[in-house]
Amino acid sequence: MEGLRGMEVSDAVVVQRVLAGDGDAYALLVGRYRDRYARFAMHMLGNRDDAEEALQDAFVRGYRSLARCEEPEKFGPWLMQILINRCRTAGGRRLRRDRTFVHDEAAIASAATGHPGDQRAWREEILRALEQLDPLQREAFLLKHVEDLSYEEMAELTGVGVSALKMRVKRACDRLRELLQEVFSA
Amino acid sequence: MPDHDDLMIARITRELKQPVLIDPSFDTRVMAQLRDDRAPRMSPWQWLVRPRSIQLSPLGGLGVAGALAATILLAVSLRDARPAVAPPMGEMPASATAPASAGQVALAQAPTAIVQTVQFVLRAPRATTVTLVGDFNDWDTASTPLQRAAGDMWTVTIPLTAGRYTYTFVVDGKRWVADPSAPRAPADDFGQASSVVTVGGSAS
Repeated sequence: MEGLRGMEVSDAVVVQRVLAGDGDAYALLVGRYRDRYARFAMHMLGNRDDAEEALQDAFVRGYRSLARCEEPEKFGPWLMQILINRCRTAGGRRLRRDRTFVHDEAAIASAATGHPGDQRAWREEILRALEQLDPLQREAFLLKHVEDLSYEEMAELTGVGVSALKMRVKRACDRLRELLQEVFSA
Repeated sequence: MPDHDDLMIARITRELKQPVLIDPSFDTRVMAQLRDDRAPRMSPWQWLVRPRSIQLSPLGGLGVAGALAATILLAVSLRDARPAVAPPMGEMPASATAPASAGQVALAQAPTAIVQTVQFVLRAPRATTVTLVGDFNDWDTASTPLQRAAGDMWTVTIPLTAGRYTYTFVVDGKRWVADPSAPRAPADDFGQASSVVTVGGSAS
């Protein structure tokens, strides 16, 4: 770990370091992907506790299975694949538990930048609209428009065909427009 | 010029791309959870089969073709190491003639209703080692080895609380074998085929 601190090293180098026995080096990967993937989990699950739990679970599973990461230079997408599945599992568990999707206050207030009144209200409306999407449509929308993945990358991560993913994204966009039309026009 | 709908999606996207705040102690929590773990290591087999970019001369290509042929022969020789019917708890198969495509697990009621013992059985006549991995042992290939039993059977019995579990077998530390008779897991975390067992009947 000491040898890697402060250095710009590739994921592949860090993965090899961890596999060589330097478990502490994994902290570099946690720090590298934590914020971006926390955002995905938060938007998928709607509350911070569930999102952090899913993300932590993904990092832990990633660490324990690191030897199975066949392309260490693609550690990020590999970890995202694990996170997507953890979010699906957590989402299903919560649906059975709650039957409702609730954005908690922490999630709504979670944007790192401060939001004056109108912008905060707009964010709340977006999060509420997002939670009303079908989970698979929400997942596809976030991967495409927020994570900026190509459809081919999405297909690789989700195991779903490109045409089905395009349909999910389109339906998600249509539904968001429908739900937010009034707020957007105001 | 982008139309009204595109502007709306762009505005939504811009908002959702804002970074989020999570617990500042998140990294510490993750690393603390991992602290007690054995550091993951690459097995010699994984090192050997890790994809690499190589350039071959025509003569080298002939060598690779030979190696490929040897690999195919090895795969054929391993082909009959398939899961077989699991015997009921405590009862070993009389012979290796059980239907080879019907691997499964056998359940036995434990003294309490909370934990049940679950027996996993695999028929793998040429295997040197067989281990069980699943979400109950964090997919650790070292923690749950099967023991060679009568005939070609490998078996292990573990306690599990009621729930739905995803699992698969690892033969000789390198070959992942899903249970062909058990339901397939719909989405495996790591892109590998795996099976599902429900214990206690209460999990959905």
